Amino acid sequence: MKELLNYGLLFAGFGLFILTIASFWIPRVLNWKEKLGDLSPLMRELFWTYAAYILASHCFFAILSFGFRDWLLGGTPAAAAISGFICFWWTVRVYLQFFGFDLAEVEDTLFNRLAKHLLTLLFLYLMIIFAILVWWNLGGAG
Amino acid sequence: MNPELTSILLRLAGLICVGLVVANFVAAPRLGYAKNLAGAETLIRQIFYVHCGYIVMLIAGLAIVCLGWPKLFLADGMAKAVSGFFAVFWASRVVVQLTYYDREYRRRERFWDIFFLIVFASLALIFGAAFFTGQ
Repeated sequence: MKELLNYGLLFAGFGLFILTIASFWIPRVLNWKEKLGDLSPLMRELFWTYAAYILASHCFFAILSFGFRDWLLGGTPAAAAISGFICFWWTVRVYLQFFGFDLAEVEDTLFNRLAKHLLTLLFLYLMIIFAILVWWNLGGAG
Repeated sequence: MNPELTSILLRLAGLICVGLVVANFVAAPRLGYAKNLAGAETLIRQIFYVHCGYIVMLIAGLAIVCLGWPKLFLADGMAKAVSGFFAVFWASRVVVQLTYYDREYRRRERFWDIFFLIVFASLALIFGAAFFTGQ
């Protein structure tokens, strides 16, 4: 089981790394520059700053999943807490993906549809793998 | 640095983070988020609020760990990674405020500008200290 979870985390890290890289295309695809034009300078700056910090958090999650797999699988309360936090992060994101965002204004192209479905799959995977890690770290495997 | 002193400083950082979580809720009406975003597309508005929510969630999570289990930041290699991340996180927030945010707005709100610079710099120093104190 531990070996399987180790590969699961490696894949999660890979997915998060791809998400981090792909995130650089999101402002262009959603045309943020033009759409933020009507906001006050401070609101525009806040928007970009928050987006950058979220991106940095995803990058950090990728580093944890790649580089600290042994620690995340250590069966400690701290590992359960970190896994729980990341699981909660992606659970909220899955909820938003299905019920939160109004994507009516996004251009309906094959690329955008494909990207949306791939992102949904990735968010679901991350939610599930970190939920399993919480269970593992709380001694769920016995 | 002495691990005991660093633990005390990390608890202080936890209190500061609680203050930042509260400040985020105060900022929304004070900076007129709703009014400023009224003309924006629905998706842009949603993305902004979601990002705000995630930032609050991250800082709240950090506050809980700092207040409840400060020694976790001093424990092992993983702790070093987390404290290093947050040292960079808060140090970069100082740089963003000094180099990116609207100068005119900062001049008008000079007290809060300096106040938050001190807050972010303090957090960067505390997590930096945890990074160098950790095993």
